[in-house]
Amino acid sequence: MERIRERATNCKPQMISIILNGKSVSVQANETDRLTDVIRNGEPSLTGTKLSCGIGRCGACSVLVNGELVNSCLVMAYQVEGASVTTIEGVGEGSLDPIQVAFMEEGGFQCGYCTPGMVIAVKALLSENAEPSDEQIVEGLSGNICRCTGYEGIKRAVRAAIKKRNE
Amino acid sequence: MSKSRKRPDGNAKVTGELKYLTDRTFPKMLYAKVLRSAYPHARIRSISTERTKELPGVEAIITHQDVPGVNGFGIITPDQPVFCDDKVRFIGDAIAAVAATSIEVAEEAIKRIDVTYDVLPVLDDPEKSLAEDAPKLREDGNVLYKKNFTKGDVNEGFKRCEAIVEETYHVPRQMHAYMETEGGVVVPEADGGITVYMGTQHGFKDQFQLSRILDLPKESIRIVSSPMGGSFGGKDELNVQPYAALLALKTNKPVKLHQTRAESVISSIKRHPMTITIKTGADKTGNVIAHDVQIVADTGPYATLGPAILDFAVEHSAGPYRFEHVAVNGTSVLTNNAVSGEFRGFGGNQITFALENQMDRLAEQLEQCPTAFRKLNLRGEQDLGPLEQRIVPTTGASDVLKNVEQLKKQIETRKDHPFLRTGVGIAMAMHGGGLGFGRLDGAGGRLSLSDDGKIDVSFGFEEVGQGIVAVIEELTTEALQCDENDITITIGDTNRVPHSGSTTASRGTSMVWHALERMKQEFKEKLCEKAATLTGEPKDELRLGTGGIYKGEVQVLTYRSLRKQLHHDDQVVVETSFDFPTTPDEVDGGHYLYTFAGVLAAVEVDLLTGQVNVTHLHQAISAGEVINELGYKGQIEGGGVMSLGYSIMEDVVMEKGHYTKPNFDTYMLPTISDVPRLTVDAIEKLPDGDGHGPRGVGEIGTVAVAPAITKAIHDALGIWINKIPVDPSIILQAVEKEGGTWWNEFENEQPIASHK
Repeated sequence: MERIRERATNCKPQMISIILNGKSVSVQANETDRLTDVIRNGEPSLTGTKLSCGIGRCGACSVLVNGELVNSCLVMAYQVEGASVTTIEGVGEGSLDPIQVAFMEEGGFQCGYCTPGMVIAVKALLSENAEPSDEQIVEGLSGNICRCTGYEGIKRAVRAAIKKRNE
Repeated sequence: MSKSRKRPDGNAKVTGELKYLTDRTFPKMLYAKVLRSAYPHARIRSISTERTKELPGVEAIITHQDVPGVNGFGIITPDQPVFCDDKVRFIGDAIAAVAATSIEVAEEAIKRIDVTYDVLPVLDDPEKSLAEDAPKLREDGNVLYKKNFTKGDVNEGFKRCEAIVEETYHVPRQMHAYMETEGGVVVPEADGGITVYMGTQHGFKDQFQLSRILDLPKESIRIVSSPMGGSFGGKDELNVQPYAALLALKTNKPVKLHQTRAESVISSIKRHPMTITIKTGADKTGNVIAHDVQIVADTGPYATLGPAILDFAVEHSAGPYRFEHVAVNGTSVLTNNAVSGEFRGFGGNQITFALENQMDRLAEQLEQCPTAFRKLNLRGEQDLGPLEQRIVPTTGASDVLKNVEQLKKQIETRKDHPFLRTGVGIAMAMHGGGLGFGRLDGAGGRLSLSDDGKIDVSFGFEEVGQGIVAVIEELTTEALQCDENDITITIGDTNRVPHSGSTTASRGTSMVWHALERMKQEFKEKLCEKAATLTGEPKDELRLGTGGIYKGEVQVLTYRSLRKQLHHDDQVVVETSFDFPTTPDEVDGGHYLYTFAGVLAAVEVDLLTGQVNVTHLHQAISAGEVINELGYKGQIEGGGVMSLGYSIMEDVVMEKGHYTKPNFDTYMLPTISDVPRLTVDAIEKLPDGDGHGPRGVGEIGTVAVAPAITKAIHDALGIWINKIPVDPSIILQAVEKEGGTWWNEFENEQPIASHK
């Protein structure tokens, strides 16, 4: 235990290469850093990714790693060496993604703290299945907790996003 | 609902660009951690920080000795120690705090603080606290507060009753579970003051409390408090502000303190668990004659707003009904459990669960339809309020009841299934807005023409997620006939906003409307007057519009050029301050403006697992005009689901004063898989000449959900539920008792006869 603490307090940062939102970057990471930590605290600090439960139960820290939906609080920074990481800042760059527009128009958010993770989860869902059923929407978003909306606005937003993408 | 304005904070939220206060960083910033108690009740024998000092990276360690002012916080009574000195009274009590160059060092540092304790008996239940020989949590005993209300003589009343129901109900300790945990950054300023970047529901109140703790003048403390990732009442009281503030002043560096979820669970306030015993009696026609209510609330060791919450529960004991004889005895009891405090619904949710259950049980005993029984006892438009005080006339009660009654008629729920039973229940609630008679409940706002030619509208309200910014935008553009590009909204910064009172008690929307009503005419006149002087047009023919000042349909001046042409000192500012409207009758805590909810819940109960699946949750809300459709729906739908959690999932279980559910892996919140179809009907009509504008809807969507769900379970299975969250084993036991052999029948794949 003492050794772990020593490492926690004296660990040496290392450089990790990732493709962050489409750009190759080298980020500094401590051995104990989670992916969330380097995204939020590193350079550039992308604070759209939130940390809420820290144990992979709420999805606020959701990002895409090589296109796959993950809780970035459950991934150590060193595990993503060479991987492509997409955060909320990488969604709809330049203009809003139809998912984001739908969240705004349908009331898919309130406090907004779960929203980046939720948008990422919808992104992952729709990239796998362009027209998910209501059951599949629920399944796809069941790892993302929202305490404000009651999810009805989120469901409306996803349905609207599907429509928008088909237009 | 018609006003479907998109929220002004939408773009920044869906793109992740919005900087929450916990997202902020500053150069040379340190990280703080707070050491909390190891025991729920103990005498502190010694605190030693010696071993911490040798750790590289530690820049400050503070304990009770480092509090220059009052070592306590609490909105009304500052009885919660910032740092405990002699005793700890719950597991979240703070003992020391550390600022270090990294979170890891700070974490390690607090582990090296050595505290020795003499463990004391744990009062983990109000009953234990009320025992004669119980140790005292404060000098005058273990009762924080008592509140009684009497109308008539219940004993006489019961003599005339044909049907009497007496039951005891238990409601849980609920966690707010805002997605953003408490925290932010405190920055020392050059003038010796500080800026506190941390969420709260009343910036000026934090300023006042911190001033008392830090022994700094209020003017030296700037509170930046919006936006927040949720609060629901949970960030109304101070939480970690004092620690980061003390550390920032001590180190003269910015200090970040952002609690982890586990730290938040331990230290944050929760909804009051209550045990409510009620005896209610009616005559044979169904008129409720007597209603005798005993409320015991577990308020934890410190006050925060415990007394006001008990007042609210007592006030709403008879809800929207008029009973001849009422007696309510409320007691808020100190324990070594979590600090209970302000939470959306504010005592109303607890009492409404008990009251509505009583109504349904009495109706059954009288063999009356529950809706008809309610109607018979319902308040009328001109009736007095629940504390016999005059209130603003309202037809809300009958309006919402009619709405859910109509819907219930249309719902066909029975279905033939071997192990699922379905049922429908309705419930209703009346809920006071504002802080009540005799409480400091000032409000205010400001309109000004800013240097960049925008109309700045400013309030001391906070954006917690409820959508107050959309409400402000909608009401301001409507009041001034301009559009959203003409205005800027300034909130959440004590250096820049007027006093508006707290963002609590469903008062925000209501107060924004009132403030604009007071300011709009004067502001329009001032602008038109200036424009008239500059353009030579007659003032009376000028009006405000999109982009500027108009004469008829012709724009004569943009707001921007109007500002430019005015002398710099010639400021156009209109301010107002006033009090939340209260009843003219001197009834302490009594409310004046009430909202109403009618709730219909449909459930599916699984006889094999005892699980309750809510399939439809409908809410009819009477709260006046809808200002922003998405915000309104969001509040009611979201409130509904939060209370669905309260009804069937959520309970912060504590054993011997320790939390048993440290995070969201064990404290289960509703996910998207748990939510039913949600529908909302806004009943906007108010009696003619109402004059009080739209009411707030922050709380009303949470109040009457639980009893609707438990009635639906009763409808499905014939069993009454006295305790929430509903324990599946109660359902399984009931099924077992009733059918006896149903499980075997199922195994033999034979259809089960209906239990109804």
